[in-house]
Amino acid sequence: MRKMWKGRKERSEKRLFDILKNCGITAGILGFVTAFCFFLQNFATTDTHVPLLFVLGVLLISRYTDGYFYGIIASMIAVVGVNFVFTYPYFALNFTITGYPLTFLAMLAVALMVSALTTQIKRQEQDRLEAEKEKMRGNLLRAVSHDIRTPLTSILGSATGILESYDVLGRQEKLALIQDMAEEAQWLIRVVENLLSVTRIHGNSTQLSTCEEVVEEIIGGAVLKFKKRFCQIGVEVEMPPEALLVPMDGILIEQVLVNLMENSVFHGKTTRLVRIIVREARERVDFLVEDDGQGIRESVLPHIFEGSLQSREGEAYDARRNMGIGLSVCMSIVKAHGGDMTAKNRDGQGACVAFWLPKEE
Amino acid sequence: MDIRDRILIIEDDRSIRNFIRAILEANHYDVLMAEEGTQAYSLITSRCPDLVILDLGLPDMDGMKILKKVREWSAMPILVVSARTHEKDKVEALDLGADDYITKPFGASELLARIRTALRHYRAIGQLPDGRMGGTLVAGGLTIDYDKHRVYVDGADVNLTQNEFKLVGLLGRYAGKVLTYDYLIREIWGPNMDKNNRILRVNMANIRRKLEKNPAQPQYIFTEVGVGYRMLDPD
Repeated sequence: MRKMWKGRKERSEKRLFDILKNCGITAGILGFVTAFCFFLQNFATTDTHVPLLFVLGVLLISRYTDGYFYGIIASMIAVVGVNFVFTYPYFALNFTITGYPLTFLAMLAVALMVSALTTQIKRQEQDRLEAEKEKMRGNLLRAVSHDIRTPLTSILGSATGILESYDVLGRQEKLALIQDMAEEAQWLIRVVENLLSVTRIHGNSTQLSTCEEVVEEIIGGAVLKFKKRFCQIGVEVEMPPEALLVPMDGILIEQVLVNLMENSVFHGKTTRLVRIIVREARERVDFLVEDDGQGIRESVLPHIFEGSLQSREGEAYDARRNMGIGLSVCMSIVKAHGGDMTAKNRDGQGACVAFWLPKEE
Repeated sequence: MDIRDRILIIEDDRSIRNFIRAILEANHYDVLMAEEGTQAYSLITSRCPDLVILDLGLPDMDGMKILKKVREWSAMPILVVSARTHEKDKVEALDLGADDYITKPFGASELLARIRTALRHYRAIGQLPDGRMGGTLVAGGLTIDYDKHRVYVDGADVNLTQNEFKLVGLLGRYAGKVLTYDYLIREIWGPNMDKNNRILRVNMANIRRKLEKNPAQPQYIFTEVGVGYRMLDPD
């Protein structure tokens, strides 16, 4: 409830902020050009430079504001302003100067064209992002259908096995089958949780519902969840002494940390200790998840974030425990926050997966 | 024969109802079952269960409605079960007076632990002389002395400020239960406080630095991300 309310308020605040920002840019550039022209008047004998400088100003405004509106307004102000201030008679309007309509048209055309170009570029950028998201979604679906089918097969097989041969199977065998069912179901939960995270990103809006979270709380939550499943693995956390507030979707970042820690255990194979390190930089916060396991195979490393398909080519591929869905979900969550993620092997031993989040939205 | 706690399961899915009943009966609870809201509400009023397990998604009405209706006249422990993972549903259920929530999927041990905690709380609060501040609370190495307004960790006074003590005291009074951000802000700063919970976060960060050895691996006060805070169950 509170979050939605906050989101709506933030959105309208953001719109207001955008309008103010655009107006500010427009006024600033026009003001600067005017001041510069006044300054040049002290030295120049002609005033041919004035319209040129204003055309440049209008061009800049169209480039750095959103939409057509500000460029057109700026060109109108510039035309009238130049006429009023810089052409004879000074500080009076005179629309009968030769070539005046031409100046006006030229400025208007510049404003329109630059705005159109800028808008087009922005749209292309958006299309590209959309296509990237679509590709990720496809990769994810393929990975998921595999990740779900395998454990489901095992659960169904075990259950029907027990049902149909209840009297034939010994107590130990039955217990073993039931144990498998429980483990596979656990695995399914993990897959589904990851999927739900993705729907949070790809929900109705592309906007994440971020709010300022205290980093240690998120890490604490993730460690608690991890410890519930892997009580025998040690966890160490290293972070700056003062509290860090970072805008994020807390649930999603918690999910990323849990995924990374679980990956350390699943793929490190001999992992005994997972270490989370948080470092504060000037404009971002770094999160490192290190383990003392066997590290990541070099052949897999370049494709590690691409979903499970590419890594499937590799030899000795462990059918179920692939890194695919977990890591590609992590990557898309971090990307949606405006951050990035990298993976490498540590010199000594074990793997290190790191991601960073920007401190400002 | 011993007196068994009677638990009402309100759940529309047959297999989940069966599995909950099986584990509850195996653990010596009396079990009542309902699959619809209206039937459930009449069972609550006629049979007075000791605890209700309530699924929020029911065929004939929203589970939240039952929660609201029961809370008008009873403080009986209600454990909300929900497939909804969005934390705002949890927050809403807790703010409406649910004692705890458990998200599907869950295992047997988790469910039993939640039931035990909810029943214990209900009884403990009933036993307090006036249900208010007073006495001490001990949870692990943490001691809250409500008479002196002091909090000790491993015997050493941690010097909390007024508001910090109020927060820790409140969490201690409901130790083991999640208190939502809104509830805490309302109780400590009053109803007119800005809904922005930053002030609460900052206070909690300071408290954590005084109470916990490592703030990122807390021992006493835990965060339920997006929902609220919970203190360690008392000894």
